[in-house]
Amino acid sequence: MIKTQQLVKNFVSYKKKPGIMGSIESLWKREAVTKNAVERFDLEIPSGQIVGLLGPNGAGKTTLMKMFTGIIVPSSGEVEVLGHKPFDRDKDFRRKIALVMGQKSQLWWDIPAMDSLHLIKAYYEISDADFKERVELMAELLNVEELLHIHVRRLSLGERMKLELMASLLHKPEILFLDEPTIGLDLIAQDAIRDFIKSYHAKYKPTVILTSHYMQDVQALCSRLVLIMGGKKSFDGPIGEFERLLGSDKIVSFNFSSEPSRDFFNAFQPKWSDNGLQVEIAISKEELCPFCAKVLEQFEVSDFQTEKLPIERIMKELMMRPELLNDR
Amino acid sequence: MIANLNKWFQTMQISWTTLMAYRLNFALLVLGPALVFYFVKVSLWQTLYIDDTTVLQGFNLKEMLHYQSWSLVIVLLAQSSNGVNLSEDIRLGRISKYMVYPFNFWEFHTASFLSFQSLQFFIAGICLALLLFLDVLIIENLNYFFIGVLYSLLVGLFWFSVQYFTGLMAFWLDETWTMRAVFQIIVNFLSGAVIPLPFFPEWAQKVLVYTPFPSLTYTPIRIFMGDLSGLYQGLLTLFISMLFMIVINTLVWKKGVRLFSAAGM
Repeated sequence: MIKTQQLVKNFVSYKKKPGIMGSIESLWKREAVTKNAVERFDLEIPSGQIVGLLGPNGAGKTTLMKMFTGIIVPSSGEVEVLGHKPFDRDKDFRRKIALVMGQKSQLWWDIPAMDSLHLIKAYYEISDADFKERVELMAELLNVEELLHIHVRRLSLGERMKLELMASLLHKPEILFLDEPTIGLDLIAQDAIRDFIKSYHAKYKPTVILTSHYMQDVQALCSRLVLIMGGKKSFDGPIGEFERLLGSDKIVSFNFSSEPSRDFFNAFQPKWSDNGLQVEIAISKEELCPFCAKVLEQFEVSDFQTEKLPIERIMKELMMRPELLNDR
Repeated sequence: MIANLNKWFQTMQISWTTLMAYRLNFALLVLGPALVFYFVKVSLWQTLYIDDTTVLQGFNLKEMLHYQSWSLVIVLLAQSSNGVNLSEDIRLGRISKYMVYPFNFWEFHTASFLSFQSLQFFIAGICLALLLFLDVLIIENLNYFFIGVLYSLLVGLFWFSVQYFTGLMAFWLDETWTMRAVFQIIVNFLSGAVIPLPFFPEWAQKVLVYTPFPSLTYTPIRIFMGDLSGLYQGLLTLFISMLFMIVINTLVWKKGVRLFSAAGM
């Protein structure tokens, strides 16, 4: 479905010294700077998977997406999507894919979304019956029936994003590229988008490639993660394996009504709050239940919780200390 | 084939809807520069002619005003502002959506040009009717008039191919409007839109015959004014020039799109 071999993308930009003299100098002398956005990237994604591309800003996620969709040309290496070379951009290939960019609108800004949908219907040669059925189904799922006839520029970001998704799925793509689809959305809108993608995937089984800085998106949708750091692939595997990337310990936090004895927790790398009423510990899966029972028995616990999003902590640690990946 | 035509038609419809969403802006965009340019030229020539009996290079004042009024009609019929959107699509990265949709960038912009042109045709019609009503213009021969209109629409296509080229320059340049403005000024001058070609020195007239410039304004004005002698040469020049622009635009697109980095998206 998607296959890359030794894929490389370099960007060349030019340095300019500040001020008017710098501008004059740049007329005849410019220093070129080459940035390796993607380096010797190998990847294979079979059909039907939801894969999360993770990495810090500038890691190369979006560059990869752009190469997969044929928007930019690789500097070297091979990329094949659905048996096509994306950069040839033949119309047959374009009919099979869809791209949603959270930061860029695909819909026409000055007209109601329904007009854009009609245009997309014509571009993808969708029959009247299919169009009607898909619009009704998706509008209901996304709860946007009332928004279809409002000018896109008048919609909120969340509303617009729902319609963007709808527009991109109208032709039933075999691969859906989602580049930060929930960026800037409130929690309710994020949930709605996630639920929609999940139910759409369950029904039609397209391959989904997702980039997001929100780990809730990744946790809720992806079965496989690919981590990109500095343009290189640093991890590729199931989400469960990623969660155990820096050890399999669980993170548990306790809140106490009165200050407990700190010695009791010393074996589990405790992190105490300033007032000493809250502690966070790292504990193995096996020890988790007996230890929690002991704590509940011995101290006045007002609340306790296990970590909900281990991948968020792991991402944070890897972004701060990328060398941890070398130690694996 | 029908599905393909439908794509073009739907794109034109979207373009119409978008243009109509900003009606005043559209009218000002089409009429503003053309009318200002027209009134400047009319005032200039009225100053140069001492009285109604003065004849300069075969033109009396009335003929000169006819010449300038036909020039206005040609501008309204032929010069669209589509190139601005085109370069902004590239500069702001909106081009990405055309790369993903199964309808090419050039197809989208050509369809948009056709819809812009059709609305502009309507505005040109109103202006022409007004000029005829005010007796500023007369139609010498109805057949020549229709030939002139068709010829001007062809000039419009040539202008579009040029605007497409300047728009594609956005792959290399952050701003393309200066390039467009300079080109427009040069063409306006050399095509006879400001000064009729007989006013040019003889050597310049001989040189200009071998360029596409006279075919853009001077030839259609002559057709409207009842002289078909330059028609075939004008048509040939336009076809060759358009063919040349199509080849250049294809090459520039291929080169530019390879450089496109879609930065910041």
